[in-house]
Amino acid sequence: MVSKTITLTNAQGFHMRPAGVFANAMAKYKSDITIKFNGNDVNGKSLMNIIAACIKCGSTIELVCDGADENEALQAAIELIESGLGE
Amino acid sequence: MRITDLLKKESIELNAAVSSKSEAIEKLIELQINGGCISDAEMYKRDILAREASASTAVGDGIAIPHAKSDGVKEPSLAAITVPGGVDYGALDGNPSNLLFMIAAPNDGDVHLEVLSRLMTILMDADFRQKLLGAKTKEDFLAVIDAKENEKYPDEPKAEEKPKTGYRILAVTACPTGIAHTYMAAEALERAGEKLGYSIKVETNGSGGAKNVLTKEEIEAADGIIIAADKSVDMARFDGKRLISTKVSDGIKKPEELIQKIVNGDAGIYKHSGEAAKSESSENESFGRKIYKHLMNGVSNMLPFVVAGGIFIAIAFLIDTIAGAPQDANFGTNTPAAAFFKTIGNYAFNFMIPILAGYIGKSIADRPGLLVGFVGGYLATTGSTFTAITGDIPSGFLGALFAGFVGGYLMLGLEKLCDKMPKALEGIKPVLIYPIVGLGLIAVIMCAVNPIMGMINTGLTNLLNSMGSSSKVILGCVLGGMMAIDMGGPFNKAAYVFGTAAIASGNYDIMAAVMIGGMVPPIAIALAATFMKKKFTKAERKSAPVNYIMGLSFITEGAIPYAASDPLRVIPSCVVGSAVAGGLSMLFKCTLMAPHGGIFVFAVVGNWPLYIVSLVAGAIVGAVMLGLLKKKVTE
Repeated sequence: MVSKTITLTNAQGFHMRPAGVFANAMAKYKSDITIKFNGNDVNGKSLMNIIAACIKCGSTIELVCDGADENEALQAAIELIESGLGE
Repeated sequence: MRITDLLKKESIELNAAVSSKSEAIEKLIELQINGGCISDAEMYKRDILAREASASTAVGDGIAIPHAKSDGVKEPSLAAITVPGGVDYGALDGNPSNLLFMIAAPNDGDVHLEVLSRLMTILMDADFRQKLLGAKTKEDFLAVIDAKENEKYPDEPKAEEKPKTGYRILAVTACPTGIAHTYMAAEALERAGEKLGYSIKVETNGSGGAKNVLTKEEIEAADGIIIAADKSVDMARFDGKRLISTKVSDGIKKPEELIQKIVNGDAGIYKHSGEAAKSESSENESFGRKIYKHLMNGVSNMLPFVVAGGIFIAIAFLIDTIAGAPQDANFGTNTPAAAFFKTIGNYAFNFMIPILAGYIGKSIADRPGLLVGFVGGYLATTGSTFTAITGDIPSGFLGALFAGFVGGYLMLGLEKLCDKMPKALEGIKPVLIYPIVGLGLIAVIMCAVNPIMGMINTGLTNLLNSMGSSSKVILGCVLGGMMAIDMGGPFNKAAYVFGTAAIASGNYDIMAAVMIGGMVPPIAIALAATFMKKKFTKAERKSAPVNYIMGLSFITEGAIPYAASDPLRVIPSCVVGSAVAGGLSMLFKCTLMAPHGGIFVFAVVGNWPLYIVSLVAGAIVGAVMLGLLKKKVTE
């Protein structure tokens, strides 16, 4: 299991479109992707879960990847968030 | 932010007959418009379509949530449709969408994401989605959402309960300025309603127009209505309802009592009888407010004269100081340049008191009031009496306040009297009758009042003379306080003359106490306005720095605009501050040989370091007291 804490910088936060970009990208990996935010564990592969978590711009989240390709998954997730989630 | 607060019944359509994505969007926008939160439908539609063009808003599991932040949206709102067979909305999972919610959000704020998040939270439950799809009526649909929200968010209060779940009270708040009290009363009523457990809706008639307007249905369903207003509100709509009509301050001070009255059925049934009923109450209640308005009209017009005149006089002192002129009785006019500024400054000051009275009179009685106010105010400065018509002891700004109000209401009375005169004389009333009769009346009144000022003055002078032998410190307190009481009226004059007379007889400590007493009020006010901003109006704060200069130059008049607008709080504060300074000056045996000049003659003040200490102490005492006494200003 690997994890990293990161701050969300895209203006909209995990809005529907950024959440979709993220969930779709994560779906490609076998590992479980969890976003720890505000004391909740959010399934990083589920668009609905991410949106329901209401993660706004400037929020700090912890990404946790657990599985065979956990390192690649975490790397991809971080790059995606740092690049602004397609905004 | 509850979903049920945002989703109105008019914005729901069950089993909508739509067969494509564009038809579904079309339908949802139509429903949003029904809900009334859209200001520009074209713009909103454009923004929705732009959002869809970038990526579909179908999130899978038969759900689609088209959304857009848009300038075409007034308030956040929701619309919903169910589509039995589903519609192809371009979902990633390829399934058709049968449950569609559309979010409208204004272009600012995070409401958008919160609504989306909450909607998604409840929609993740498959059972809940089935219940929504199975709803037979719009009420059922909303009830299902309401139940789910109660389960997910049990702690939050609902913004509005349905009438059947409890008493329902409506209220309207309004005040003349419509900036603060309207909203304070609304908040107090809402809180009281919440505390007592009765749902309440409050319409605010503020300066920006009516907000949260009561609908016809709400009025019909309500138990009763509370009107907490100091101005007239639209009453016709409340015909036949139980109603309490009261002052806006009651809404702030005793909201619970008002609500209980309605709940207990103690309020009378309101019968609308046209204009008369409402205008009557507002006339009575706002009398104090009117007095204040008249007063402020006088003060605001006087202010420029005080500021400009005061600065000119200060410049004159400065010039004489630089020129090294002797600091004697002629200080401030010894060099031609100083004389220019001093004289012009004094001329501006001469207008100050008449302007105050004149514009109070004009505010009360319009143009006919201007003449009586001006002349009455001028007579207050000359102090004319029947026996000494060219002038005696001035009654100062207190006399001017008297002249302004008495003159103004006198003219209103005169106009009423003249109502009975023949129509043919209508034209000459404003050009002949009002001015001539008004001038005569105000002259008689002021000449009758001024001798009282003379008597006060004589009495005070005698008192001061008899005190000469008693405690010097007490004498200093009395002199200082007198300088601040009327700032140019009989008290001030008596103290000042006593001080100058003392110089002539070689007692220099008395003049020192007198001058310091006159320096404290403007400085105390300036300090208070600098450090307690909330207690002064914007205009008052802006002219406050000038008061430092005026105070330091011994131009007590700088305090007059403040004293005139709030005499009962400002005058006592100034008197106490000045008395402290005067007493201290005596205690420290400070002396002064020049009859004026303020800080510019400090060089000739005996024991000047402690004289400054006395000044600072008095000013601070006055400022602190002013801060404690003065109320917060609501502009």
